[in-house]
Amino acid sequence: MRDSLRQVRTSAQGLVRRHNPDHRIMMYTLILVIVGLIIIFAIGPQRANVLNESFGSNLSGMYFVIKQGTSVMIAVVSFFVFAYLLKVDVLLRHKAIILSIGIAACALLALLGNLVHVEAITQCALGACRWFVLPGIGTFQPAEFLKFGILIFLGGFLASRMRAGLINDTEKTIIPAAVLMGVAALFVIVLQKDLGTGIAMFAIVISMFVVSGVKKQLGVILLAVLLAAGLLMIITAPHRIDRVTTFLKGDEASIDDPSGYHIAHAKIAIGSGGIDGVGIGNSVQAAGYLPEAINDSVFAILGETFGFIGLVFILAMFYLLLLRILRLVDRLEKPEYRLIVAGVFGWIASHVVINVAAMTGLMPLTGITLPFLSFGGTSMLFIAAALGVVFQISRYTVHTQIKEDADEGTRSRRGVGRPRYASRRSR
Amino acid sequence: MLLTGAMVVIVLRLFFLQVIQHDHYVALATEEQVKKLVIPASRGTVYALDGDTPVPLVMNQQVYTLFADPMVVDEPTQVAQVVRDIAGGNLVVDNIEQNLTDGKKQKSMYRVLAKNVTLRQAELIKDKDLKGIGFQRVSKRVYPEGAMAAQTLGFVNNEGKGQYGIEQQLNDRLTGTDGILKSVTDVANVPLSIGKDNIRQEPVNGDNLVLTIDRNIQAKAQEALLAGLQRSGATHGSVLVMDPATGKVLALADFPTYSPADFTNVQDEQVFRNIATTEPYEPGSVLKTFTIATGIDKGVIDANSTFYNTDKIKVEDRTITNALKGVTGTITMQSALNNSLNTGMVTIAQRLGDGERINKTSRDTIYEYFHNRLGLGERTGVEIANEQKGILISPEEEQGNAVRYSNMAFGQGLNVTMMQVASGFSAIINGGTYHSPTVLAGTYDGGKLKPENNSTARPNVISPGASAKAKEMIHQARVGYTNTDTPGYYIGGKTGTSQTLENGEYINSQTVGTYLGFGGTDAEAKYVIMVQVSGKNMNLEGNKHAMPIFTDLSNWMLGYYQLQPRA
Repeated sequence: MRDSLRQVRTSAQGLVRRHNPDHRIMMYTLILVIVGLIIIFAIGPQRANVLNESFGSNLSGMYFVIKQGTSVMIAVVSFFVFAYLLKVDVLLRHKAIILSIGIAACALLALLGNLVHVEAITQCALGACRWFVLPGIGTFQPAEFLKFGILIFLGGFLASRMRAGLINDTEKTIIPAAVLMGVAALFVIVLQKDLGTGIAMFAIVISMFVVSGVKKQLGVILLAVLLAAGLLMIITAPHRIDRVTTFLKGDEASIDDPSGYHIAHAKIAIGSGGIDGVGIGNSVQAAGYLPEAINDSVFAILGETFGFIGLVFILAMFYLLLLRILRLVDRLEKPEYRLIVAGVFGWIASHVVINVAAMTGLMPLTGITLPFLSFGGTSMLFIAAALGVVFQISRYTVHTQIKEDADEGTRSRRGVGRPRYASRRSR
Repeated sequence: MLLTGAMVVIVLRLFFLQVIQHDHYVALATEEQVKKLVIPASRGTVYALDGDTPVPLVMNQQVYTLFADPMVVDEPTQVAQVVRDIAGGNLVVDNIEQNLTDGKKQKSMYRVLAKNVTLRQAELIKDKDLKGIGFQRVSKRVYPEGAMAAQTLGFVNNEGKGQYGIEQQLNDRLTGTDGILKSVTDVANVPLSIGKDNIRQEPVNGDNLVLTIDRNIQAKAQEALLAGLQRSGATHGSVLVMDPATGKVLALADFPTYSPADFTNVQDEQVFRNIATTEPYEPGSVLKTFTIATGIDKGVIDANSTFYNTDKIKVEDRTITNALKGVTGTITMQSALNNSLNTGMVTIAQRLGDGERINKTSRDTIYEYFHNRLGLGERTGVEIANEQKGILISPEEEQGNAVRYSNMAFGQGLNVTMMQVASGFSAIINGGTYHSPTVLAGTYDGGKLKPENNSTARPNVISPGASAKAKEMIHQARVGYTNTDTPGYYIGGKTGTSQTLENGEYINSQTVGTYLGFGGTDAEAKYVIMVQVSGKNMNLEGNKHAMPIFTDLSNWMLGYYQLQPRA
């Protein structure tokens, strides 16, 4: 049946037969989603209790798991839509529109939240407006859409520059990309004060540039600019300075220190989990001690509940998933596909590494979700969409790794952020 | 590579945190998660007796303190409206709305809006589903009999501690022992069912105490005191009723008084004090009964012993005179008691010595009887807080000289409480057994009175014979005065009018009137009543102002006990 539907596609390198997608991507993702549902099922009642007590709300114990279940359903639909229905090439054709919608959504949020203060449909905290409130549906974080928009747009844009041999052209390639990232940074990092999402966004872009074969000097300059910008972000925001100093204090940071409270409790949760964890439903840190227990700090609760064994298993799932994605990069001919897949790799990898490193005290704290495990619909929706795209692209791999043209050699020596060789050497 | 490196570092870090440092973090977790919570024991209630049946004097009521978290309250106007409508009488803030807005500005998370809200009010308010409103359950003392026996009961202050009276003295018994709950809790200290080391120790509620106070006698004593004070215009008064056979205090009435439920509104804390136990004074001539009893027991006098009265008698360098003059010549001791002649009492003191002087032997004897045997100048141990011992100077002290002891013989130069005097007097007229006074009859448990004996008996402080003689003399002393007693009973008593001391000097412009007496059948005295009336700058006298209160109460007691009059 499927054979009869098989199509033949053209690409720059020639003909690639459409074949079965990489089902392992789906499998690892599914395992993670199930673990996520279990943990939210386990701590949902505590979470509801805490909210009921402190805000007088009346949430049932099942509230969170039902909501997360709904999010998962939507994410699954989104995955299949992008995996089977919406062709990547169609997306690429409309890349400018997709990006525009993302930017427009962020702009609208900034307008309504920061300028006009329409509190009915925006959700702001301490001057940072990150969410739209869609009455009766839930909340929506436009920055996630913007990430997806950037992924698709830059995929198409950089690929066209690669074909034209203009990838290192400052005027035609670098400046437009920089302007785009500047605009995105303005909305996400400056207005929404969401450094975590901003970093993930840059991780997507950096991953794509690395695969695009940009010159080494440009890469170094780009990194230097980003580091400087990041530093600026940190020193202009007192709470970020606090987080860095807390991080520098390491394990000695006191629990009573308010700025160290979050990370100290994340470590308590993880540490008290031990080898095999306290078991499902026995997490105490989720009962109001650990902030954001259900969202950004869910990794710590997973550590408390499932212990070292559980966390290593979860990390292994992420690792295998990411390796699977990396493997695709090396086997795709079409630059658009390679770029998009690399971007998705950067997206997921940055979320996982930044979140986990922060929770274990290896990096300063930034608010960023752990894909598939954190409670929250928008993030999951777009990561699922991105994985759907990757899944679709996985039908067009070739069997052998592609030996690329001349700049292959220069890139291999670059070393920094070289996913395809990284994966090869790690085996 | 970068990814693999990151993963390896993270896994190593996890191994460090979860395996190597596991115990450290478990300790940290336990420290903040496991909390010891107190399960409060409920404070014991207090009963009086109605005959043999306990009736409640102090009960507990669960009430609620209504508080708001101004940071969470979103509609201050509505909250103010609802709270005022339902619990308007319980408000502790004038302007709720203002209070909430101020609280929000100050980032306060706890504002008490109303106190003593009933369960019903609390439920009505809860039904309105207001945001940021909470209730705290507190136990409140309620007093079904209002101000009855207020100075005996005392009250419970806002910290839950007993103040004055038995509430203070028996605070530990009433408090009970709080239970302990050691449990893993959530961040708001709400216990979770998680964890294996949870400990629950049930609270032991405080004892429900039954007082010896008889509610009917107490009510009548208060009524008689009030009526007597109104007749005399005296501003302060105190009545003590005791069962001389057991030392049980049947009534203790003080005026002015207060209502323990409204203790916070009391301006002058003097009204909290139990006069009969905490305010020693010179009772004056009522103590002549003690001197008579001592003399009879030592065999130096009896009712018909005579002495030569000149209305004055010299002791060392002092001359002691009588208040009532003219009953001169050779008279009996009965006459001396009837007319309250100081010279007669000094004569007894002299006869306790060498007949001429109040020597050391005499003083030792008086001290032995007054202090050691009859309990003057010592705390009686009655279960009422702040009991004072007063002053009774021993002959071993320099101040315990002949002049001092001559004064003591007619009730001056010492400071004693009504409780001491009534207890000693009970021993004099009950056959000679001293019972330490008590207000505690037992506990009320499971609907039954479990009696306790809180009185210790000291038998033969005077001989039964001496007791009978002294009792008869006191009876005669009363009969000589008044014919207002219900006929057919055996009533006796002695007046006392004492000057007060101001700045160490006796002043004549202010006297305290006292009456001390007993009543009952020929076979047995059923009650001892002591009455004291006083007032600032008032001359109050035992016979005119205190005795009528005794008579009123005594006649009522005969009826209350349904005693058979002699045929």
